[in-house]
Amino acid sequence: MKDKHITEILDNASIATLSESELNDVRAHVLECMSCRGAFEAARISGVVMKSRAQAAIEPSPFFQTRVMAALREQQAVESVPAMLRLWSSAKALVSTMAVTTAALAVVSFMQPAQTTSVPEQTASVYSEYSVILDQDADDQMSYEQVLSTIYEDEDDAR
Amino acid sequence: MDLDLARQAQDGDESAFAEIVRRYSPRVFSVASRFFRQRTLVEEAAQEVFLKAFTQLGSFEGRGSFEGWLTRIATNTCLNMVRGAKRRPEFTVSDLTDDEQGWLEQQSAGDGGEPASVETSLVATDLADRLLSVLSPEDQQALLMIDGEQASIKEVAEATGWSESKVKVRAFRARRKVREAMEKLLSYKKKRADSAAD
Repeated sequence: MKDKHITEILDNASIATLSESELNDVRAHVLECMSCRGAFEAARISGVVMKSRAQAAIEPSPFFQTRVMAALREQQAVESVPAMLRLWSSAKALVSTMAVTTAALAVVSFMQPAQTTSVPEQTASVYSEYSVILDQDADDQMSYEQVLSTIYEDEDDAR
Repeated sequence: MDLDLARQAQDGDESAFAEIVRRYSPRVFSVASRFFRQRTLVEEAAQEVFLKAFTQLGSFEGRGSFEGWLTRIATNTCLNMVRGAKRRPEFTVSDLTDDEQGWLEQQSAGDGGEPASVETSLVATDLADRLLSVLSPEDQQALLMIDGEQASIKEVAEATGWSESKVKVRAFRARRKVREAMEKLLSYKKKRADSAAD
């Protein structure tokens, strides 16, 4: 046994469960085999950390039972509602918004009077090609008094 | 007794199921704690276990113990949760903390007894998680139950639904991988201590 490496024994069972004779064989071997000494030390410390990890169990809080029962009731409530109703309850907000938007668009399209795009006549006449070519500006026209004075002035000159 | 409770709960008796939750919460938490360290995750897993158990109450026929039946549900639920979670960081030796280094030195020098204080116990637990990261969730289960909780091969087989030979193979493989990882840690610790001494 002294010449046989012990890694197989170490990997087969935890050191804590080895029998006394097995442990004696292991101890005798590791005194002479450096690589198995390292393996034995590693296996021994691994056993300690695994025990420590197993002891790190978390205890349930006092509210855990209440929390589970609430979750169970919620789950049962969801399961008791028919599928179509569940679909409706999740989609009703979207459907309602779409309906309101459609109604608003319908009101805007059909109820509001149509706006005419005709140009006022006055504006048209002012800017028509006829008026632009033939009409004179009001400032260029003579007043009535100017016409009379011009006529009488011509008659006086003739005399 | 458990079968009666299960039947009553299945028939809609809320107080019967509340009694099941009260009676078996410690067991379910103990299983979930093997997989998770954070309380929120353990509670989430435990709640999931009880909700699943409620829907499967009809499948409990009373042949084995209710606790065994629930433990199997807990183990499989937690395994599924771990498999679905994001991958944990890979095992490295270079980020060994001073506390971990000190704890390992103490263990190497001593007789390998159990950690004395809460602080050293936390360091040991952190080291365990570091070592367990080299294993699959299934191998972690086998090793933690056998080497950590001193469970028998048969008990692990019952809790997981695996055959006894499968449990043995998993435990053997897990023990070897963890031992090799620990050897790397010890070797790195020794190098660091030597370089600090120079």
